[in-house]
Formats: sequence, C-alpha cells, structure tokens
Amino acid sequence: MRALERMLFTRVVATPAAIDRAVWPTGALVLRIAQDEVLAAGTVDLGAVPDQHAIVEPETAFCGAWVDHKSGIQFLEHACDWELPAERPAFAQGAVAGIPVKVWFEAERILFLVPVPFVIDFAERWS
Amino acid sequence: MANGSLLTHLLRGEKYPAGGGCLCLAGDCPHCLATVDGIAYVRTCQTPYHEGVSVEPHPESGRLPPPVSLGDRAPVPARSIHCDVVVIGQGPAGRGAADEARDAGQHVVTLESRLGQDAIGIYPGPLVVARTNSGMWHLYPREGIVVATGASEIQPVVPGNDLRGLVTARAAAELTSTGIDLGRVIAVGTPPADVVATTVAGELVRFEPRSGDPRRVGAVVMRDAKGQEQRHECDTVSLGLGLTPRDALLRMARGTNIRGVGDVLLAPDLPPCPSTGVVCPCAGVTVDDLRSVHGRGFRELDLVKRATLAGTGPCQGAVCVPHIRSFLGAQGSDPPASFTARPVTRQLTLGEAAAGAHHAATPRTALDSQHRALGAQMERLGGWWRPWHYGDVDAEYTAVRNGASICDVSTLGKMQISGPDAVALLEHLYPVPIASLAPGRSRYVLLLDERGYVVDDGMVSRDSETRFTLTFTSGGARFAEAWVRDWAESLDCDVRIMNQTMSLGAINVTGPRARDLLALAGVDSPPAFLHHAVATVAGVSARIFRLSFTGEMSFELHHAADDSTDLWQRLLDLGAGLGVRPHGLEALMKLRLEMGHIIVGQDTDFDSTPRRLNHEWAVRLDKPSFVGRAAVVRTNKVSLDRQLCMLEAEGEAPAEGATIWAGDDYAGYVTSSGWSPALGRSVMLGWLRVQPGINAGSAGLPTMVTIDGRPAHRVTTRSFDPEGLRARA
Repeated sequence: MRALERMLFTRVVATPAAIDRAVWPTGALVLRIAQDEVLAAGTVDLGAVPDQHAIVEPETAFCGAWVDHKSGIQFLEHACDWELPAERPAFAQGAVAGIPVKVWFEAERILFLVPVPFVIDFAERWS
Repeated sequence: MANGSLLTHLLRGEKYPAGGGCLCLAGDCPHCLATVDGIAYVRTCQTPYHEGVSVEPHPESGRLPPPVSLGDRAPVPARSIHCDVVVIGQGPAGRGAADEARDAGQHVVTLESRLGQDAIGIYPGPLVVARTNSGMWHLYPREGIVVATGASEIQPVVPGNDLRGLVTARAAAELTSTGIDLGRVIAVGTPPADVVATTVAGELVRFEPRSGDPRRVGAVVMRDAKGQEQRHECDTVSLGLGLTPRDALLRMARGTNIRGVGDVLLAPDLPPCPSTGVVCPCAGVTVDDLRSVHGRGFRELDLVKRATLAGTGPCQGAVCVPHIRSFLGAQGSDPPASFTARPVTRQLTLGEAAAGAHHAATPRTALDSQHRALGAQMERLGGWWRPWHYGDVDAEYTAVRNGASICDVSTLGKMQISGPDAVALLEHLYPVPIASLAPGRSRYVLLLDERGYVVDDGMVSRDSETRFTLTFTSGGARFAEAWVRDWAESLDCDVRIMNQTMSLGAINVTGPRARDLLALAGVDSPPAFLHHAVATVAGVSARIFRLSFTGEMSFELHHAADDSTDLWQRLLDLGAGLGVRPHGLEALMKLRLEMGHIIVGQDTDFDSTPRRLNHEWAVRLDKPSFVGRAAVVRTNKVSLDRQLCMLEAEGEAPAEGATIWAGDDYAGYVTSSGWSPALGRSVMLGWLRVQPGINAGSAGLPTMVTIDGRPAHRVTTRSFDPEGLRARA
C-alpha cells in the first residue's frame, strides 16, 4: 500500500442534534464516528456546530492512505471479520488485521485511517 | 476428485500411503494418511495429485511424525466471506439445497471436501471455518447453514482389519471406476455397485494375510448360519457393513439456524458387538481395552473416550464410534448417542489454526522513534511501548533530582468533558469536591468503584465553568473512559466527552531547574503548583499542568501529538546547557517511590480501599454523595486488617513481591521496591497485616520486619522531602 501519511482533521463532539445541523466545509470528508462525534477533514469553525458546549479540537492522530478499490477490498477480505458495506460511499470502522481502523469507501478508491500509535504495526500487517 | 486424488495415484503404482486398513476414499478413515509435502496426517484420498508431490508414509509403528516438518512456511491466508447460506457437502442433497437457496435469491457458499474445502467447525455467530486449498475461509451465513455431509461407511473390527486390500463398498466402486484392477473381489455385506464381486454371507470372523505377503489380505473368513467357518480367498475384500451419519458439524452447532439434508439425517446402523480386534486404529484401542475400562467403571461413551483415547485421533471417531456404541449397548443399556461434537473435526496445521489471528498490537507514542534513536530499552508497560531506560539510570535519576529532565508521558489517559452537567457528573464520580475547584486549578483524584475500592487515580483540571480535563493512568485509561461514559449515560448527564489519549502527546519537564528550562523555551510565567495554563512552549502550543509525581517541580506539557517530536527535540536542545536529558520509567519508579506515590495496579489490590492505601486524605466523606461513598463509610466501621506502608532497609532492594515477616509470622509482601540514591538505602511500598502485640506500632502495624532475611522498618513519614517542598517550589 502507499505510505500512510498524517492527515489533519477536526474532531467534534457535540449533541447528536447539533451534529446533524452542523455546517461542514463544502466538499470536505466528514466521518460520523459516533452519534455524538465527527471527524472532519481540514479545519472546522467552532461556530459551525450549534452547540455551545461542543468540543472542537484539531486532530492529528490519524495517518491515512488512499488505495485503489480492488486492492483495498482484497486486503479487507483477508484482514477483517466484519461485513464490508455494499453501498458507496460508505464509512466503516473496526478491527482490520487486529488494528482499530476507520475505512472510507468510495467507488474507485478506499481511504484507510489508522491511529498514529498503530501505524507501524498496521503497515507491517498490510505487507 | 478421486480420479485425480493422490491416493488413487499411489494405488495405481501399487504404493500405499500407510500400513494398511480398510480404505474408504471419503476422508473418513485414518488409513490413507501420509506426510505430504512436509505436512503429516494428510488425507491422501482428499488431496489432489500434482506433479512432484512428495509423499512420505507414516511409520507403521513407533513414534509418529510431527505434524509439520521444520522449515519456514508462508502464513496461511484467511478470508472472511459473508453470505446468506452455507451448504456443507455437494452430493445430490447438498446440491439440491444450494440450488433451492439460490433460486430464492440467496447468496450461497458451498463447501465440498473433494474440492479441497473441508468445514472443520461451526462456532457461535454462527461462523463456519473451512480449510481450503487457498487458505482458511471464515464464513458468516446470515440466514443459515445446511449440512449435507452424508454418511460414512462402517469399518470392520475383526482380527486382520489392518491388512491391505480392504476397501469399503463405495471405495471399491470408485476404484473400479477409475480403472484400478481390484483382482478377485469378495463382497461382505452390501456389494459394491458396478464391480464384479462374489458376495458371501454370514458373520465376518477375520481377515487372513496372503501367503508370501503378510501385509496384504489373502482371504476372508466368515461364519455361516451353522456356526461353521468358511474361508474365501481373494485379492480385495469389499465391505458394505452399513452407514453412520457424518453429523458432527450438525451436532456441534446447537442454537444456530442449521439443518441437515440427505444421509446426514440417517439413523446410524449398529454393527455387531465387536469381540476381538482393533476398534480405534488411530489410538490403537482394542476390544480388550474397552472391556478393561468398562470393568473399571467407565461406562459412558465420553468416559470411554477419555479413558482409552479412542476417538481422539485423526479420524475423530469415524471408525470407532459405531463399534463402541455397539459394545456399550451390548453391556445392557441402549446404545448411547455419539461423542459430544466440538470443533475441530479435521486436524489442522498450526498455521491454519492461526490464520487470520492477530496478536494485540501495542501502541507507540509519537516519540517512539526518538526513544529508540537515543538507545532506549523499550518495554511494554501500561499497555504501551515505553522507554525503560536510556542506558544510564543513575544519570537519569540525578538529572531529575539535581537539574532538569524530560519524560514522555503521552500514554496517560486524557479526556475532555464539557457541558451543563459536567460538574454534577464529576461530583458524582470523584470523592473530592469539584464544584469548588476554580478554573485554572487541578486536583489529585482517586476513582472508586461502587464497593469503595480504588480502581484508578489521576488529575481533574477545570478549564472553565463547564469544561474539565481529566487524566488517568496509562493502564487504566481504557477502563476509565468506559467508566465515565457509563455514569454519564446512567445519570442522564448533559455532557460531551472526548477521549484524547491518542490525540495528545505529553512531556513532563521535571527537576529543580524545570522552570529554567521552560524559560529557555519561552515560558516566563509557568503555572503555580496544581494550576494549569495554555502557553507556547518552544514554538509549540501546549497546556501546562503543574503537578508532581517525581517529587520535584514538574510541568506536564500536553500538546498535539504531531508536535511531539519537535517539542521533545527543542527541549533537549534548549536544555543542553542545563544538562537536560530524558529519563525512563526505571528512574521514574525510584523517584516516585522515594515520595511514596502509589501506582494503581502495582501497589493496589482488587480490594484496596482508600483507608487500606493510607489515602483517606483523598476522600471527603463530608460530600453527601459520590460513587463508592456508602461502601467507604461501611468499611471504615470495620477494623483495619492491612495497610499499604512505606518501608526502608539498608542494602540492596528486595525483589518486588518479596514476603515480609514480623518475627516468625507472615506480615505481608512488597509491592514496589528500589534503591534510593537520595537516602542511600532501599525504599519500598508493601502490604502489612495488622498484628496487635509485640513489635506493633500505631494501628497494630509492625514496626520492625524482615524481608529476604534482612531487617527493614516501617516509616510513617517519608524520609525524602517529607513536607513536599521541592514539588511546590
């Protein structure tokens, strides 16, 4: 796979309703990682989230790599037990080769997001 | 596949993979096992032949081969397949079930042993695990499992059943169809289809070897209705002795949506009770062995299995079970059901068993490569890779006590809590006041469970009226997050919770010259003790928490993890003139031990109350409510039975875990110990039992004790910096 590179996200924790109503940067990759939590590529203004108690923090603890769809699926079929989503685009997260990974599926490519503390192990297990 | 099986290839060449025994060609019996391409116990009848294949017969007696030859092998791949239905077995019944499911629009995966696809177990989930020629398959059927594995043919148990030239009726038909000449064939029981054979009637008595070839059958002896033995010369004996369902997979998958079709549902035929001969060829169990264990009280099928090991070999009871059932039935009870079925039904290599399994990865901090570049000895501690030391523990210790040092504490649990109910939640969680904690202040906190036991400790820092930062121990962070979230949900608190353990790096700047180092890094007014503030440190945005675990002035710098390497290197560069060097955990253990600071998990036990830990100062019972309060109040009324104490001794530090003696009486054990350079003697934490009487000091705890045969004494006030002035400097 291509080398995993550190990616800049903004992490937002807010009420689910506020997350539903938040205005995210146009075209940005926005991953709903929990009902009350979002990982959005790039920078997000605090004001974009209508929750005065929202926690909005830059998040640099993920490395990512885009891979072509076929190789990504081939790897996932051998590296994780859970069922891969059929629709596109789609987001999934879970253990991949024993590492907690977030996966964004597009029609032509797949993004693997790996927490920085596990990047070395993930790269070893991919190869 | 039999046409192309390794076994038929061998038989055409008059070669046998094993010593003898009745061949089934269906993967049921152990009589065609051989070491194939370095892997032992391979069923050659189920293995496709390929050019250059290496076949090594198993020894006929003596030590059996190891399962796998030595040497490197590529990992066995595992593949996860999610589908609607799995159909195991592709005979007529299995094919029919698969077609039916496909016609209903279901995604079907089929398995067929003869195509090299062996279902080896069904696990809860359900999960069907199959060994295939392309690796292991982990099949997750959403709708159900169909078992169409058919039935196996009953093998003979009479003297001579280990000779060559014995085949089941189906095997005889199959071998003939592949053009193998069986010679003169005598059929016992149901004759084989499309094979020229002489069928003989009567009771099977024994097989006799051929003259000149003692390993090959030459005749079969039957007993007729008059009790007379009849000898029939032959080259091959075909045995149609009945069928027994291959239902192990069906029986092991209780509770899942599973059904059988075809012969797997047959009622098993029961052979005559064996009178002599080998019942279990895998384990060499004879009829005499069955009599012996039965006579000693092993009268149930599973007990006979345990006592004799019958059924534990490669065929997993396919050969012996019908005969053991018959034997037990003949002893006066109904024939018992088969063995309890459990995975795995086929032997696997370790590589196959391990396919798809991954050991838990140990996370690394953002400074991992810096530590390794500095020559650190890395250890797995608190669930992370951490530097134990950098090669000179004394120098690391001295840098902290006399100058300034830095330590990677990124592994600490770090969490933000925000919301209108943040104070209420934390008041409920912690046994100290939270509402009175002013913004910008921090407080040491214990975490108690409902039984009043200490489960973790850390700091709570107030950032604003409604926002807090919490820290936890490295090893306890995962539990602590679940604990906080559970309580927030249980109490229906309006809070936001963000776990930042992996997002933030943390570097502790500590030592009497720590403030000087921060000044060099551009921080002129660092926060006072138990305060915190946001600042730019050596060009990196950080939150500075003033606290102390080492006993020295300490500033914990929390920052974005991707800034860790820059901040670390700049602090080392800026501090070069101060002699700044990093310290690892070995030095940290000495430093905190001199201060008597506990480590939850190392110094605590599963039932450590604040009082037992001598931490009653960290619990405010005047608070009306917090988790564990009722239990603490109740246990405080009970006499103290043991307490964690500080101990000191001359000479080398005893091993952690060493027994502590008070005279001849067991008094407790050491939880942490180390040599104190500052004091010139060993310091320890250890559990002491309350033992009123001679040598008992306050609270009935012994004052003088013996550890490793050397005297030690309990100290009520730590010897190093008892007032804690250095930390507050």
